[in-house]
Amino acid sequence: MGKVALALAGIAKAHGSNAVVRGLDLEIFEGEFFVLLGPSGCGKTTLLRMVAGLSDPDSGRIALGGSDVTSVPAEARNIAMVFQDYALYPHMTVRNNLAFGLKRHRVPRDQIGGRIERVARMLAIEQLLDRKPHQLSGGQQQRVALGRAIVREPLLFLMDEPLSNLDAQVRANTRAELKELQHRLGVTTLYVTHDQVEAMTLADRLAVMNLGRLEQVGRPLDVYRLPATLFVAQFLSSPRLNLLAGEIAGGTVRTPVAVFPTGGASGPGGPVQVGIRPEWLRFSPDPVAGSLPLDVALIEPLGAEVLVHARWPDGELVARVAVDGKLPDRGKVWIDAAASRLDLFDADGRRIGSTPGDAEPSNPREISPPLQPAAARGA
Amino acid sequence: MKRVVGRILLYAAVLIAAALVAMPMYWLVVSALKPSSEIFTATPRWLPGRIEWRNFVNAWEGAAFGRYFINSVGVTAAILFLQLVTSSLAAFALARRRFVGRGFILFAVIGALIIPIQVTFLANFITLQHFGWLDSYGALIAPFAASAFGTFLLRQAFLAVPDAIEDAARLDRCTGLAFLWHFLLPLARPTVVAFVLVALVAHWNDYFWPLIVTNRDQIRTLPIGLAMFVSQEVTTDWNLLMAATLFVAGPVLIVFFLTQRYFIRSHVNAGLKR
Repeated sequence: MGKVALALAGIAKAHGSNAVVRGLDLEIFEGEFFVLLGPSGCGKTTLLRMVAGLSDPDSGRIALGGSDVTSVPAEARNIAMVFQDYALYPHMTVRNNLAFGLKRHRVPRDQIGGRIERVARMLAIEQLLDRKPHQLSGGQQQRVALGRAIVREPLLFLMDEPLSNLDAQVRANTRAELKELQHRLGVTTLYVTHDQVEAMTLADRLAVMNLGRLEQVGRPLDVYRLPATLFVAQFLSSPRLNLLAGEIAGGTVRTPVAVFPTGGASGPGGPVQVGIRPEWLRFSPDPVAGSLPLDVALIEPLGAEVLVHARWPDGELVARVAVDGKLPDRGKVWIDAAASRLDLFDADGRRIGSTPGDAEPSNPREISPPLQPAAARGA
Repeated sequence: MKRVVGRILLYAAVLIAAALVAMPMYWLVVSALKPSSEIFTATPRWLPGRIEWRNFVNAWEGAAFGRYFINSVGVTAAILFLQLVTSSLAAFALARRRFVGRGFILFAVIGALIIPIQVTFLANFITLQHFGWLDSYGALIAPFAASAFGTFLLRQAFLAVPDAIEDAARLDRCTGLAFLWHFLLPLARPTVVAFVLVALVAHWNDYFWPLIVTNRDQIRTLPIGLAMFVSQEVTTDWNLLMAATLFVAGPVLIVFFLTQRYFIRSHVNAGLKR
C-alpha cells in the first residue's frame, strides 16, 4: 500500500450525553476500498459524515491527502458522497444532476459535457440523461447517484450503504460492478455497511465497528479467519456463531458438549468463551469419545449447503454442511471435536491464542476446516 | 343502473354549483357589453341585443383608469417582489438553520398570522406619518414588504426538502443562499405560485389601506379609482360601471386562469407525501 489518503486521529463525537464515536484512529491508503462494517447505531454513519465535513468531531483530527481538513468546511474538501437514499436532485434531469457539482466547482463549460458523456457510458445511463429522478427505477437512481460522485473526480468517495435500498438481484449485480469500477478508477473509497457479505466481497480492507470503537481492522479474510474479539466473530458469522462456555485445562477446552483440543492456544487456564462458526463445526454420525449425543432438531436446506440444528437439554448448535458431505439423518449426532475449529475468547471477549497480528498463516491448511467454508469460497 | 343515476345526480349538483359561481361573472360581462337602454328591462336579458363596445372606451375615459392601472401594477408587483424576498429568506432561516430564539421567532410569525391586518393600520399610519411617507407609493408598499403568511407557508414547504439533499448540495459546493435559489425555491414552486396568487389577489383588490393613505389622484390604485368613478361619474350608468369593474377584475382572472394548474397541484400536494 502506498501513501495515506485519509487519516483519522482520536476522533470522538457525542450527541448530548451519548458518545457515538469514542476516540477512533484509522488510516486509509490511496486507491483503497475500505469498508466500515457494524450494526446500526455503532457510529459508522456519524464517522462518515465527519469525514465528509457534514458534522464536526468533538475532538480529534482528520487529514486528507496529508493536509489537516478538520476545520475545512464540507464544500471545500473535494469529497463526493453517495447517500443511502441517493439524494438525487428531484427537480433536475439526470444530466443536470451530474453537471450541477461540476458547474459549482467551476469546471470549464466545454469540459462538462464530455465528462458527463464518459461517466454515463461507463454506467450505461446514456439513455436516461434527459429524465428526472422520479422516472427512474431504484437501480437506475443508484447508478445516477454513483455517476454524480464519479463525474466530480474527487479525492475520496464516501458511500453510506448505497446498496441497501436495492432488491437482492440488483444488489448482487451492482456490488460486483461497484468493486470493478472502483478498481478501474482507483479512487480511495470509504464505504459504510451493516451487511457482512457486502463488506467481505467489496473491501480491500475493512474495519468492524461497535459502540463507537473499532474492534478490528484488517483484510476481509484475515478478519474472518482470526476475529480479534467475540463481537467480530459473532458479527461475521452467518447463521449465528455457536457459543459455549468452556474451561481450559491442560491443552484441552472442556465444554458441556465436547472436549476440544486447544489447537495451540495457550492460556493461564480457567473459564473461556468458545466460539465455533457453523461452517467450522463438524458433526459425526458415530459416537465420539468425550462428546455428548445431540438430537438433530431441524435440517434447513440452503441449496448447496444445509444447516443442521442439533440440540441437547441446555442449548442448540448449528452446523453448515455441504450437501455432498455426509448428511446426518434425523437422530443422534456427536461433535467431531478434532475436525472442528474454534475461537477462544476471554471473559471480556478478547481473543485468546493466535492474535490477528500473525494473520497471515504460513500454511492455510492449518486453520482451514476440513471442508472449505462457504464464505471463504465465495470471497 | 344505480351508478348511472348517481353519476347524473353528481353532475347535476356540480353543474348547479358551477352555475352559482359563474353567474355573477357572466352577468358582469354581459352587462358591460349592453347599451344602457338594455340594463333595466322587465324580463332579464341573458344576451345583449346589441353589443356596445363603446362602454369600455367611455368608462376608461370617465376616470384616470390608465394611471390607476399603472399604479396598481407597480404597487402590486413591488409588494409581491418584496414579500417573496423577505418571506423566502425568513423561511429559509426558520426551516433550515438552528439558532437561538428560532422557536420564539416562529411563534411571533404565527402570532402575526392570527392578528387581523386592520389592527396594525393605526400603528402603521403613525409610523408612515413620522417618515413623511403618507400619500406616496412608499405608504402603499412598505407596510406589506414582509408577510407572516408567506413566511409560514414557505417555511412549511422548505421543511419538506430532505436533509440529504442539502448535504449532497453542500458537497457539490452549493450552500446558503445558493441552496435557497437552486433548491428550496424550485422544489417549493407549487407553494410559491400559490402564495403569489393569494397575495396578488389580496393586494390587487386592496381597498381599505390605499384609501386611508392616499389623497392624490395620481397615486391611487384601481379599486380606489373604481370607487371614485362610482361616486363621481356614473351613479346610474351600470353598463359603464361593469366595464370599469372588468378593468379591475380582468387581469387577476387572466393570471389565475394561466396558473391554475399550479394552484390546484399545490393544494393537492399539501396532503400528500412528496
